[in-house]
This record gives sequence, C-alpha cells and structure tokens, in this order.
Amino acid sequence: MIRLRMKLALFNLLSKLVFTILFLMFLPYLIERISLLQVDNELIQKREQVITLISKVGIEPFITSDSGNVFGSYNILKEEFISLERIDLKEDANYIEVSQRLIEGENITYRVLNYSFKVDGNTYLLAVGKSLNSILHTQKNIKIVMLLFLVFIILITFLTDLQYTRLLLRPLDIITNKLKGISNPSIFDKTPVRTTTSDFHHLDDALTELMRHIDQLFQNEKEITVNISHELLTPISVLRSKLENLLIRRDIGSDISTKIEESLKTLHRLQSLVNSLLLIARIESRQYLREESFSVTEVLHEIITEIIPIAEDAGIIIKEEVEKDFLITRANRSLIFSMFYNIVNNAVKNTPSHGEVLVKTTLHENNYIVTVTDTGKGMTEAQMSNLFSRFKTKVGNNIDSIGIGLAIAKSIADFHGIEILVNSVIMKSTSFSFRFPENS
Amino acid sequence: MNVLIVEDEKSLANEIASFLKAEGFLCELAFTGFEASEKIAVNLYDFVLLDLGLPDYNGLDLIVEARNHGNDTAFIIITARGAVEDKVRGLNLGADDYLAKPFALMELFSRIQAVARRKFNILNNNLTVGDFIIELQSRKITCKGNEVIITKKEYDLLQYLIINRNKVLTRNQLYEHIWGNILDDQYDSNFIDVHIKNVRKKLNGHAPTPWLETVRGIGYRVSLG
Repeated sequence: MIRLRMKLALFNLLSKLVFTILFLMFLPYLIERISLLQVDNELIQKREQVITLISKVGIEPFITSDSGNVFGSYNILKEEFISLERIDLKEDANYIEVSQRLIEGENITYRVLNYSFKVDGNTYLLAVGKSLNSILHTQKNIKIVMLLFLVFIILITFLTDLQYTRLLLRPLDIITNKLKGISNPSIFDKTPVRTTTSDFHHLDDALTELMRHIDQLFQNEKEITVNISHELLTPISVLRSKLENLLIRRDIGSDISTKIEESLKTLHRLQSLVNSLLLIARIESRQYLREESFSVTEVLHEIITEIIPIAEDAGIIIKEEVEKDFLITRANRSLIFSMFYNIVNNAVKNTPSHGEVLVKTTLHENNYIVTVTDTGKGMTEAQMSNLFSRFKTKVGNNIDSIGIGLAIAKSIADFHGIEILVNSVIMKSTSFSFRFPENS
Repeated sequence: MNVLIVEDEKSLANEIASFLKAEGFLCELAFTGFEASEKIAVNLYDFVLLDLGLPDYNGLDLIVEARNHGNDTAFIIITARGAVEDKVRGLNLGADDYLAKPFALMELFSRIQAVARRKFNILNNNLTVGDFIIELQSRKITCKGNEVIITKKEYDLLQYLIINRNKVLTRNQLYEHIWGNILDDQYDSNFIDVHIKNVRKKLNGHAPTPWLETVRGIGYRVSLG
C-alpha cells in the first residue's frame, strides 16, 4: 500500500516527466524554426540594404565587364556572404534555401536568400547568405541547458510537492491515526483536528459525531444490561433467602425438601445467567482493572491442581507441559484464572474415561501460547463456527450448561488482547490455543 | 451479638433477620439510610449488614458516620452492584467484608463468624467434631493429636459445613462457597461429590465420620447433637 501523499507526488512527477519529454521532443524543431526565422529576417534586411545601395550608386561599382559579371564578398570568418551575378533568368527569383558553398576549400552550410532584379535591362541575381554552423552550435547548447534546467526544476518541484502535500494532508494523517487500532469508540480522540481544509474538517466532524453516537449506543446497551441485571438480582436474592430459610426448617418432609432444592437449583441457574451477562457487560465496558502482573504458568498450575481430583475421579489424566514460564503484565488475574479454569474444566468434561488433557505453554515467535488439548469427541465445523456465541454452545451433552462459558472466555481474551484459536478433529480431539500479545 | 440489617428490600431484610435470629442473634431492621443513620447514632451494634443500593442514602456514608461516632461496629456490605470500585471503596472505608447479591444465608453466617473471630478476638478458635478438632486459626484438622492432611479446598468445604452444622447445604451452596460465583457455568458438576468423597476417605483413615451425612437428593450436612 502506498500513502496518499506519495501517490500525489508521484503523479505530479509523472505528469511533469511526460510534459517534459514531449517538450524535449519538439524542442529541436522549435529552436530551428525560431532561429531560421531570425536568420531569414536578417537576410531580408541585408537584401534591402544592398538593393538600396545599388539604387543609389548603380550596379557598376559591383559588376563590370572586367569582373566577369560576378561579384562576391564574405567576411573573414565566412559567416556571411553576398554575391551578385548577371544571369539570364526566365522567371523572377525570390526565395530562401539552405545550400552548401565551397569557400576557400571549406564546405559551409548557408541559409541563402536568392533575389533577382533588373537594372538597365539586365537581370541580376543577388544571393545573401548566412552560415548556419554557429546556429547549429547554439542550438546544441540551448538543448543541453534546457535539459539540465528541466531536470533541476522537476527535482525541485517533486520535493516541494512532496513536502507541500504532506503539509496539506497532515490533518488526514491525524484522522487516520485516530482511527488506527481503535477497538472501542470510547477511546477515540475527540479533540478536533486543526485544519483550514473544509473537506478534512467535515470528515473529522462526521467521524467524531459518529464515534460519539456509537459510544453512546454502546454505553446505553451496557447500562441497560447492567441495570437489568441488578434489577433481576434483587428478586432472585429475595427468593433465594426465602427458599434457603425453608430448606433448613426441620418440620418439612424429604419430598418437600427435594422440591425446594430443585427450585433453588433453578434459581441458581437464573442467577448464573444474570451474573454471566453482567460479567460480560462489565468486561466489555472495561469495568475491570488490568493492573496485575503474574505468572500465567502459576495460574495454570493452580487451576490444574484444583481440577485434578475431578479428573482422577473420572479416570482422566491432566498433563502439564511448560516450555517456558512467563509473566503477564497489565492483566486481571481473576479473569485470566476464570478463562483458563473454564477451558480446562470443559476439556475434562468432554474427555471420556482414560482420556487425557494436555495443558501446554510454548513460545512461538515472541508470542506465548497456551494450548489446552483434550482427547474428546471433537467438534463439527458447524459447532465450531458459533462456539463463542452466547447461548448457542452446548459443549458435550451437559444439558445443565447454560452455554455462556465460552462467550465469557472470549470476552476475557478480547479484553486482554489474547487471540483464541480452535482446532478440532472429530471423534479425536479439540484444542484451544491462546496466543498472548507480544508485549504482554 | 446484635445486628443491624440495613436493606430497603423489606422481604429480604426479614428473611435475613429470621435466619440470624435462629442462630441466636439480636436483629434490628432499617429500611432506609436515614433510619439506619439514626440507629447507628444511638445504638451500638456488633454488626451492620449494609446494602449499598439505598434509595435515599449513599450506604458508604454510614460507615464514615459510624467511625465518626467512634464505634468499632463490623460492617459487611451486601449489594447487587458488585462493581469493583464499590468493593474497593467499601473495604478502604473500613468495611470488614463484602458479599454480592444473591448470596446464601449460610455464606453470610460463615462470613459473620469469620469477621467476629478476627475482629472481636474470640479466643476459642477450635471446633470439635467427633474425634476431630478443626483449628480455625491455623486451618488445620487434627485427630487424637495427629494432623489430617487435606487440601485447601477440602478444608474450606469441611469448615463451611461445620460452621453451618445441623443444616443441610446444597451442592450449589457448597460450590459457590469454594469457587465463588464467577463463571459458574458448569455448576451442576459432581465437583462437590468428588471432594466430599475425598474428605471422607482422608478423615476415615483416622476415625469414622458418621456426622458427615449425605442428604439424598439435596446435599450434605454435618449433624452434631
């Protein structure tokens, strides 16, 4: 990808080059035309002078019968010449041509004006010539100077264009930077960009307004979730206390106790649901702090230690492989704990007896990766595609699972910038990989 | 011990009161912050159970008021607004514990016991169950002078059951006590059964445990005469 200002500068450069090349192609022709026109004018002037002179003094000073009817004169450097000749011409001559003349053994290219006139019944041909050698030489010099000048100009304008467009597009750069890596509208920098370009001003205004709007919507949504959750928790709390007080009474039979316990269980499910939604809303609205530093390996070890009794009971082995211990900074330990706890716990649940769960920590290209692999039933593509959506997941056949655990794990991962990759081979294994960001 | 329950949800306040009365507490109720403020100014309570979501009062101010009166009442905050800042601020202001709604009454009771032990220096820090002695201070279990080796979670489970002795505790209540209610998606696991099985195995190696009962279809109970 090329930056806009570079594109503009390159386009300018290219268009200048095209024009320059065209100009250079026509330049020799132009210079020739101009210089020949100049020479022709001079020749005509000279002719007029000669004619005026002849009409004053007559033809005799130039041509006598002794001189063989021919008069010729040239200056020392043979740049110009004049010749006068008595000839017989059927038609009048008045034209300009380029011709080679041999003067004193030197072949020189001249621009020659031929003009015929009559004096005393005789026809004379006047030829006024001017050497083109010097003109050709000048032309060459002009071309070189022109070329150098143009190259210089192109270079200078390219650099100034680049600089100017950079200056001109700086507001756009600022706006682009504001949008770069933005994960949440609330962190969008809402200070207006200083610019005199109305387009950028409008763009910035529109974006800021949009971000403010989205932010507000997000905020509202989260507030609604949080408020509804709070409102729900109070009645749950009341019901729960009432049922608990009933359950500890000694004057109730076991059939009633069982029913109360079932009600408590259902209520607990509702409570879990509300708490989970609240948790996700809180994580997403960044109500949790990220200011702890701790060893992820230690957290994993703690989780495994807690789950081992259950795994052993189910005849499952949990293996722990640590390539390298690593410390995570700016994180929330209890959230990270919950995330891995949920994943490891899930893995154990989905593994049949005599199976194995492997928790592995590796370092791959500066990223720490934690992989949890089970030897369970695996998942189909369809199951994997909405694995992290709320309520859509029923991992394994645990009908009591409310299917929100993975959604929570995902939001915790997102909160910490951790990438989750899932791999599954049906009837064989499933693995969850957590790739930690480089600087963590 | 006397307790002031500050809670605007009347039926919840009444349930808490009826539970605590059965445990031998003297309970008073305040349904508004204003009412609570007056009561705190006049009476001396061992415990105040404080709901932060009062309509007329910032609950945290009550802690400040009590401290200004120079009394050392123990505050346990109970709130549905389990936001992290609330918790941190409450504990910074001198609250002794924090419980998020909904909580189990048994959990509340066990927290009150823990705060009481800590705050009022109750010296009898041991509970005797059958042939076993639970040393609450050092979190150890001994049987006829021998220490029973038990994991941290198993100890927590056992202590919770013993503190709430003679009451049946459901698996959910036990699970919640040990793992809290963060991420309890898989709450219907057999976690508790496995742990109880292990506790029994370990204790039975020292002495029989007929007092640790399984209540069919409900959960577990420690029955002491």
